[in-house]
Amino acid sequence: MKAMNRRKLFTVCATIAVASLAITAIPAQAAEVGVSSSEIKLGMTLPMTGTASPGYNKIPAAVKAYFDYVNANGGINGRKLTLVVKDDQYVPTLAVAKTNELILKDKVMALLAPLGTANNKAVAAVVNPGARGIPTLFVNTGYSGFSDKKKYPTTFSILPSYIMEAKIMAEYIKDNFAGKKLGLIYQDDDFGDDALAGFKQAGINFDVKVAYASGSQSGTTAAGWMQKLQAGGAEVVILFGVSSATAAALGTAAVMKFAPQWILGSVGGDATTIKAAGVPAGVLYNAVGASFAPATTDTTDEYVKLFQDIYLKANPDQIFDNNVMVGMNTAFVTAQALKAAGSNPTRKSLIAAIEKSGKNFASAALVPLNYSTTSHVGYNGYWFGKYSPTGDLKPAGGVYTVYTTDSGNGAVVKSTYKRPAMPAKGLPN
Amino acid sequence: MFQLLNTILIGITAGAIYSLMAISIVLVWRSTRVINFAQAGMALLSTYFGYEAMVHFNSFWIALPVAMVGGAGIAALIELVFMRLLVKRSSTGPMAAVAPIIATLGLLGLIKGIISSIWGGADVRLVGPVTNVGYSIGDKTLAFSPLKLLTLCTIVALMLLLTVLFQKSNIGLSLRASAYSPEIARLSGVKVDFVRTLGWSLAGAAGAVAGMFQTVNGNGAFSPESIEFALLLISGFIAAVIGGLESLVGAVVGGLVLGLVISFVLMYISSSLFFIAPFVILLIILFVRPQGILGVKAARRA
Amino acid sequence: MHKFKSSHHLAFFIIFGFILFLTGNRVDELRVYQGASIAVYVVAISSIILLTGYSGQVSLGHGALLAIGAYSAAVARNNFHAPVVLTFVIAVLAAALGGALLGAAAARLSGPYLAGTTLALAIGLPSLANQFPIFGGEQGVFFDVGFPPPSLGEGFTQYKWFFWIAGLAALISIWLVANILRSRYGRNWRAGRSNETAAALAGISVSRSKILAFTISAGVAGLAGALLSMTIGTVSPSAFPLALSFSLLTGAVLSGVSTLSGVMIGAVTLVAIPEIADAVATRIGVSERFTTNLPGLMVSTLLILTVLFVPNGPVEQHRTRQARKAAKEKN
Repeated sequence: MKAMNRRKLFTVCATIAVASLAITAIPAQAAEVGVSSSEIKLGMTLPMTGTASPGYNKIPAAVKAYFDYVNANGGINGRKLTLVVKDDQYVPTLAVAKTNELILKDKVMALLAPLGTANNKAVAAVVNPGARGIPTLFVNTGYSGFSDKKKYPTTFSILPSYIMEAKIMAEYIKDNFAGKKLGLIYQDDDFGDDALAGFKQAGINFDVKVAYASGSQSGTTAAGWMQKLQAGGAEVVILFGVSSATAAALGTAAVMKFAPQWILGSVGGDATTIKAAGVPAGVLYNAVGASFAPATTDTTDEYVKLFQDIYLKANPDQIFDNNVMVGMNTAFVTAQALKAAGSNPTRKSLIAAIEKSGKNFASAALVPLNYSTTSHVGYNGYWFGKYSPTGDLKPAGGVYTVYTTDSGNGAVVKSTYKRPAMPAKGLPN
Repeated sequence: MFQLLNTILIGITAGAIYSLMAISIVLVWRSTRVINFAQAGMALLSTYFGYEAMVHFNSFWIALPVAMVGGAGIAALIELVFMRLLVKRSSTGPMAAVAPIIATLGLLGLIKGIISSIWGGADVRLVGPVTNVGYSIGDKTLAFSPLKLLTLCTIVALMLLLTVLFQKSNIGLSLRASAYSPEIARLSGVKVDFVRTLGWSLAGAAGAVAGMFQTVNGNGAFSPESIEFALLLISGFIAAVIGGLESLVGAVVGGLVLGLVISFVLMYISSSLFFIAPFVILLIILFVRPQGILGVKAARRA
Repeated sequence: MHKFKSSHHLAFFIIFGFILFLTGNRVDELRVYQGASIAVYVVAISSIILLTGYSGQVSLGHGALLAIGAYSAAVARNNFHAPVVLTFVIAVLAAALGGALLGAAAARLSGPYLAGTTLALAIGLPSLANQFPIFGGEQGVFFDVGFPPPSLGEGFTQYKWFFWIAGLAALISIWLVANILRSRYGRNWRAGRSNETAAALAGISVSRSKILAFTISAGVAGLAGALLSMTIGTVSPSAFPLALSFSLLTGAVLSGVSTLSGVMIGAVTLVAIPEIADAVATRIGVSERFTTNLPGLMVSTLLILTVLFVPNGPVEQHRTRQARKAAKEKN
């Protein structure tokens, strides 16, 4: 009797399993995945919660604000732009799982601005959008390897690479802080390794190097970092970590009354996040920072004015800062790419469009885009400035001095790029 | 030399907080023979109560009692509703030993989820009443600040209060009696159920203080995902275990040992190893003395 | 060695395997991928049922044992180019070794001390991987089982391959575990769990049987770890958070902590919960915050409700009810 009952139970379990697996009917394939007659669906993975999320979790709202603006003005060739956002908490294995969801469940046309060096690498290795023809647009990381078209055929960079940033930073240091003892705080993964490679190439040697494991940044651990920097006598310290790590470092340094010359990397230099973490604006004052977009306090700039307007209308109780500016700019470039992909966009036509016309897309940045059929490199330069007494980044002397370079052995040169005028109403034309 | 002093100071302050957390775990264990894995979660929730009070009244000295009362209240609620039901339903069967552990773990997950739903997973900031900038000695800055001094004083005061309560008062005697022999205690006229709830409430209040100070001491940011919370969860628990679970003094010793070890590893070795340090200490202590530093060997139960 | 009187059960497994194979061909990629995840959970949960349900030892750190298996498999594959099947075997052996050590240490500990140690292990062990470059630090290493053989045709996707491998591994391991549980060893474990003194008097070496339980449970967990890293393609400390150990425990409780036959219930529920949460959230249209937390909340609530009201699991509950009914009818 017992054996029979057991077998019955097994069968029941098996049936449940099979039924639950088989419930899905295979849907008919659309013309192109993620594209319908009325909508284009894009997907984004980034940390919305977790230790690395402060600052970056404002990006989806920024992108959505611009997309809504486009949709209100007729969309792209009659289609509305939709963004599906998944929280990966800056964890590579979660990024893989969420990207799978975007591709398999949400069936997005393309991945937009996924954030994180390690995350993007994991997704590339495991999910392999390149082999599946799925575009990964304008990755939100400066890892120099992603612009390698052979390795990542459907991936496009947009941010200047960390090697570029390190080289330009090295020039600034040689010009302004020659002979001083240098310290570096960097993340202990591919993101930090790329920076190290860049500094090595630029001939910078650090007297103190402190690596932190991603996710371990906090007030407690930052005390250990500061201890090492102080013991090593660092006079100029480069903070090349994520925003929350930068904030932890500055906050703890203030408490320990350790005040070297700070240089903030582009990834973590978000003043709003740092101030929101309780770091007094005085600590940021005179710290050095870099950006490739106009300063967000520069309301004479037409892009700043328009983007700020759009963003604050949609999010009246938020602050318009660099993360928002860069996010909206990426959305702007994306909209142009989708328009250039034609009236019946496909994944292939999207990629071809960026390669063909990408370098002529309008953008808010003060450096050019460099897309071509052989290159997936986006921006290639930075301007340097200092943080004001209120903690806002402003160009040195009020004038944008932009430098450009490459991720190889090319020299760092002053840029002569003149940014073209913004298209009417800031919409793709 | 100076670095050594700083390391010790940081270790003692952190250790005091872990001790308080450990005390709350020991309190619950001694009054109901349950390891409450949700203790740190309850401390976190209490800290959020304190944060709300801070937002409305802008005073740490109002926020702290609010957190404590909130913590005690939550603890009492959980004991009354949850634990009684649990003990009734699963005191026999293969799950008897396992059920309370799993249930409190479930409670921890539930509390974290509720906190994230209400306040979000992003950091909230809690600012202490005095500055956290270290005292200066000549041109060097000590890793000891008015805030850390306040932390130590408050925690020491609380510990003394609890010790007096437990060892010298009638309530303390009732608490101890109810834990070891509830039937006999009942026969002696002790209101066992009330006393059990009281034990949980005290633990909740202690945990709230630990949570509040852990937040303000660590740059002021707190969230369910923060390292500070994970440290509180683990160190409080491990400190209780290595202290032997049987005495409050053991909890204090355990907390201080752990605080100092973590501090030394952080400052002298590497900031990525410090998370493993508590685990290593735990293994060493349990290997050498399975009942903890100050614990007594459990008699064979029938 | 004992003869396993299991021929009729073997037939069942073969039939079930065939059903899975057919299903895998009919459903879309997402379901296939979820099927692979279910298989992984089945293996992992069965290891907990063995350890906690049968041998009565609580392990809060099974995630660490999965991690040992996963890292061993990855290192064997990346650094020694071992074929996939061999990597799984290595995963089992490495984790079993870890389990034996843990079991030996655990034999001296009881109740909260054991719980504490396994908890610390769950949190500490994956971070240990950061210290040795061979384990790739915080972002980990890749684990690539390679593409399906071309003989299976063009439309045979990577995820289907995962499903096949995981499904087959799960079937084999469950069959083995089921037989071990019904053998003398399983009886020893249950005896030791109910009453250690009586078991010792009956001639069972309780501590040795406990260590054996840990070893075998760990080996199975190691296999689950290797399978898990196959499906996500990477092995890193963040793939084995405390939440994983917690989910596995939940799955075991949902299945019925001492009933192997319920293991599918736990596994399917764990995989289904994020889906259900998603569906519920979109229907109700609640805040973003609530949506992200809904799966976690559902898991915790389910766990608490199960422990309170169905502590021995739905299968056992059903059996007890049947037995009571039968007893009533007799009178």
